[in-house]
Amino acid sequence: MIRLENVTRVYRRGGEKLTVLDGLSLDMEGGKFYALMGPSGSGKTTMLNLVGGLDRPDSGHVAVAGEDVGALEGAALSQWRADNVGFVFQGFNLIPVLTALENVMLPLSLTPLSRAERRKHAEFALELVGMSDRLSHRPQQLSGGQEQRVAIARAIATDPGIILADEPTGDLDRDSADQVLGLLERLNKEFQKTILMVTHDPAAAERAQRIVNLDKGRLADDPREGA
Amino acid sequence: MGPMSRLVGRQLTRHPIRSVLTVGSLTVAIFLLCLLRSLVTTLEAGVDAADSRRLWVMSSVSLFADLPLNYQRKIEQVEGVANTCKWQWFGGYYQDRSNWFAQFACDEKRLLEMWPELEIIEGNADDFLRNKTACVIGEGLARQFGWKVGDRVPLIGALFPRSDYSVWEFDIAAIYRPKKATLDEQTMFFHWDYFAETQRASEGRDPNVGVYALEMHDPAAASSIMATIDSMFENGPMRVRTTTEAEFTRQFVEMVGNVPRLVAWIGTGVLLAILLAVINTMLMAGREQIREIGILKALGFTDGTSARVLLGQSLFLCGIGGGLGIGVAKLTEGFIARSIARMFPGYHVVGSTVALAAVVTIILGVLAGLVPAWNASRLRPVEALRRS
Repeated sequence: MIRLENVTRVYRRGGEKLTVLDGLSLDMEGGKFYALMGPSGSGKTTMLNLVGGLDRPDSGHVAVAGEDVGALEGAALSQWRADNVGFVFQGFNLIPVLTALENVMLPLSLTPLSRAERRKHAEFALELVGMSDRLSHRPQQLSGGQEQRVAIARAIATDPGIILADEPTGDLDRDSADQVLGLLERLNKEFQKTILMVTHDPAAAERAQRIVNLDKGRLADDPREGA
Repeated sequence: MGPMSRLVGRQLTRHPIRSVLTVGSLTVAIFLLCLLRSLVTTLEAGVDAADSRRLWVMSSVSLFADLPLNYQRKIEQVEGVANTCKWQWFGGYYQDRSNWFAQFACDEKRLLEMWPELEIIEGNADDFLRNKTACVIGEGLARQFGWKVGDRVPLIGALFPRSDYSVWEFDIAAIYRPKKATLDEQTMFFHWDYFAETQRASEGRDPNVGVYALEMHDPAAASSIMATIDSMFENGPMRVRTTTEAEFTRQFVEMVGNVPRLVAWIGTGVLLAILLAVINTMLMAGREQIREIGILKALGFTDGTSARVLLGQSLFLCGIGGGLGIGVAKLTEGFIARSIARMFPGYHVVGSTVALAAVVTIILGVLAGLVPAWNASRLRPVEALRRS
């Protein structure tokens, strides 16, 4: 369960206040696939960052499986992220100097697994996304769709409960986008991962079980009503 | 290799030319540090190796002012003095002024008695003592000019020309190897009598003595012997100053100039310049890797780990450069020693210099990586990902 309770996030730029999330309250069930939609500046990515512990609310609470994420700090917050969340970004965000396998093994180094076990887990994750034949390729040797699949493998390598995907198909052609969305669906259905996906693409949002519409930092509708 | 070590290493291959140039400049800087410090330690080795049993008597006016010949007998009568030896700087050269090296006219027998560290490795001492024109030369000198035992060496006496301006001729009777840094391997010693007779013939009088070396029965008596000798000639034709061998050697080091201070200034300048260059490299690396730092933090790596990735790169870069610099300094040791043997005999890169270079390398690595590492640790992941 993900709960946002009266969450406000304000950015200050050049002395000007910009309220991105304005007292947002929202409950999301674990094990569901959510699509977050809304116009630019509606607070979708900010909400994702708050749920993933990459940012802090100015007021209100963000709780994931009962854990008040906003109250965690420093190493405890890092550890929580490592244990609970996998990120998939629009720009893929793979480490360019590492191979696909090394990128996927990277978060596994935060676990107590041995090197051999880390490699086994990473190979399994890459196999799951259909990239087992590209283990030694560096990101610049991969297509956008392949890079995003490696990024998904990295996100699931440590078996986190939540996958946060920020416009994962934004930089992809239709076929690659379909593959990535199919993978996210599979992760949700077969592995019961909770997925929060920010998207501008209505077709992509249709693949989710629930759609949350945001506008000006507030809910445009309430998914609980449609549940 | 762990994933973080791999990441650190790979980041350095991201801009290979920049990394190679930075490593190259570090190599040169650390090599220069080793070279400059080795020049100092080489000069100071003579001071450190000084024999506590020996004292030196020189003019209180200047090292270049000679002492009367009859001082030797008076010095020998001082209680506690076991032996004495005359030394006179000859100042000749072989064929051309550029072929300059040190030559001394000495009491040949006393020289061998008082300097047991003068180990004869070719020829023999008897031949040296028997033949008035015989000389003993250091093995470095033999190597430099290709001289061997039995060769006759003509020297031009720049300070002490013969009456007919002909060359001085010396027969190489032995070649020595210094067992201690009190002697170098580039010197020639020859008979005092040969020197004195030739001088008498050209000048019509006995030559004076450059300095006297004396050996004590007991080094503990040095202070009283020095005071006695100094006061003995207080009213003589030339006042003297008696010093320990360490102090005497130090004067030669100082004659070259305040080398340690000069070397320290040059070395500090070189290191500061290279520090700025490496800091610049690391700041650029830090800016380029903002996105990756954001990714690492999003994956769950701590601020400390993120900082270590950049600090590790700095240390790795400096480690390679510093290691190569030390390696080059050791590899070129023999070549440099031969090239500067006359000015800096016994050039050697000692262990403490290697240790100093290693410590400086680590300090450079830490200082250069500190700011980007600090910035990386302070970076909020959401900002890092947004800025990229």
